[in-house]
Amino acid sequence: MIEIKKLSKHFKDVIAVDNVSFEVEEGKVFGLLGENGAGKTTTLRMLATMLKPTSGTAIINEYDLIQDPVDIRGEIGILFGGEIGLYDRLSARENIEYFGLLNGMDKAQINMKIEKLAKDLEMEEYIDRKVGKFSKGMKQKVAIARSIIHSPSIMFFDEPTSGLDVTAIRVVHEFIKELRNEGKTIIFSSHSMNEVEKLCDEVGIIHKGKMVEISSLEGLKVKYGEENLEEIFVSLVGEKNE
Amino acid sequence: MNKFTRVVFKKEIIDTFRDKKTIFSSIIIPIIIFPLIAFVFGIGSSDIEKESKEPVQIAILSEEKNELESFLLNHKDINIVKTEDAEKALDKLDIKVIVKIGENFDEKIQQGEKPRIELIYDDASQKSEIGKSRVEQIISGYTGYIVAKRLENAGVNPQILEPIDIKYSSVSKEGGTGLMIFSMMLPFMLTIWSAVGGIPAATDLGAGEKERQTLEPLLTTKSSRMSILMGKYFAVVVAGVIATIASLIGFLIATKINPDFLGEGTTLSIKAIGIITLVCLEMALAFSSIELAISFYARNFKEAQTYLSPVSIVLMVPAYLTMFVDGRAIPRHYFHIPIINTIGVIKEVIVSVYDMKHILITTGWNLLYIALFLTITVKMFEKETVIFRN
Repeated sequence: MIEIKKLSKHFKDVIAVDNVSFEVEEGKVFGLLGENGAGKTTTLRMLATMLKPTSGTAIINEYDLIQDPVDIRGEIGILFGGEIGLYDRLSARENIEYFGLLNGMDKAQINMKIEKLAKDLEMEEYIDRKVGKFSKGMKQKVAIARSIIHSPSIMFFDEPTSGLDVTAIRVVHEFIKELRNEGKTIIFSSHSMNEVEKLCDEVGIIHKGKMVEISSLEGLKVKYGEENLEEIFVSLVGEKNE
Repeated sequence: MNKFTRVVFKKEIIDTFRDKKTIFSSIIIPIIIFPLIAFVFGIGSSDIEKESKEPVQIAILSEEKNELESFLLNHKDINIVKTEDAEKALDKLDIKVIVKIGENFDEKIQQGEKPRIELIYDDASQKSEIGKSRVEQIISGYTGYIVAKRLENAGVNPQILEPIDIKYSSVSKEGGTGLMIFSMMLPFMLTIWSAVGGIPAATDLGAGEKERQTLEPLLTTKSSRMSILMGKYFAVVVAGVIATIASLIGFLIATKINPDFLGEGTTLSIKAIGIITLVCLEMALAFSSIELAISFYARNFKEAQTYLSPVSIVLMVPAYLTMFVDGRAIPRHYFHIPIINTIGVIKEVIVSVYDMKHILITTGWNLLYIALFLTITVKMFEKETVIFRN
């Protein structure tokens, strides 16, 4: 369960996130939809304890964002898109192991988990190869394994498919669906309407740092009399821009 | 070192020494640079040495036959070259010096007058310059011979010109001039490498991590920022120490290639090595920290390289300033000046001066710099505006 309470983040004069509140129930996928620079990444960075909120807080699995950041880090996993962020000179196994150790796991636990992940994600063939020469899809699989090595109950996805090819995007989508089936709580940030429509139970539309709408997909369609999420988004954001 | 710091340290060491760029700049370059200098230096110096052992080629311009010409002709270190255009020969360095003997040379000598001779040489040429000095010495010997003859003719013992017998003996236990050169170069080299040896690793572990976007996932692990930072810091220190050791190996190879390079036969005691290791480690600890802070501040690898390059130049200034300072007479206030104090201590122990006060003052200051720089680095690593500057 994630409960976000009046979360704000200011960078000098810029208000990146402004008084954002929402809840994500256990086992649900919440889509954070917004344009580039809307405040999605800053919100996720605050929830992942990388940034300190200027005001407000969040309760993640009963831990307070401000009071218990270390406990929160043990509860979450995060997957980024874009550059992915792996150590090219380490093997896939070493990359995953490093994050297991930094999450307090012992070697035996890590080894067992890596074997399972390598099988599930079909990485057995290249698990001991250095990741420098991997394709983006292969790298994203390693990043997926890295993000769940410590079995977090909550997952954050920050535009995880950005820059990936169709096959790699499908792997990420399947992974999210699997996590949902396992009952994990997920916040998924994206600017792709299709992805959000396909994967999320509930959607929050963030614009210029403010949460302008929160609803289930069905609720949005009924409220705005539109079948297409893209149309709903454009009309909502356009309205706010006027 | 806590558990997470150990994990980060181990990973960073593996990652750093798998990087060809780091291996090249931290190990290969320090190992080959001194042998290379020694080799080039050896070629140059052996050429000059060869030149100084062979007879000096000169041309004599004289109106008539005289005793000086005969003296030079018979001297084993002089080779008189017959040439029609002496100046042209000098220009081409076929000869090194022209000895122009004035008119009535012998007559003037006999009458007790002062005949003139002119040495024409090329001061832009090292070979001509050396040749001039050698000819000057030979003519000075001839002058001494004339003076002695005149004194004898006057019934005076020529010994009267040397009322004091000077005996030269050096107090240096070993090494002599070699030790002097050694004490000039070694502190310079050790201090520079201890301070800058960690730069390639620091660039990669700070700015490199930001550029690859590996820092963000790292900050979401259970490990504290302090543990991550310390793991990286110790890795940069180790890289700096390895670079220093590599430069020492290069130094030893250089002295084998060319024994004249930096003091033949000079040795360091265990005590001296211990003190040098201590102050060099202090330098590595202080500079690794500030290099890591700068690297974290930079947005990317290139920016970090731009910011870190001046560190080497900043270090060169005090290193050059103290290069010619006598290891036995370093002013006390030098031990309060950063970098210069470290070079000072190394210079002292090389010439067997073990001044505990100087060592303690230097170590005290260095510890202060380490604490100060580490505090700055920790503060910077905690600052969101630094970590997420890109």
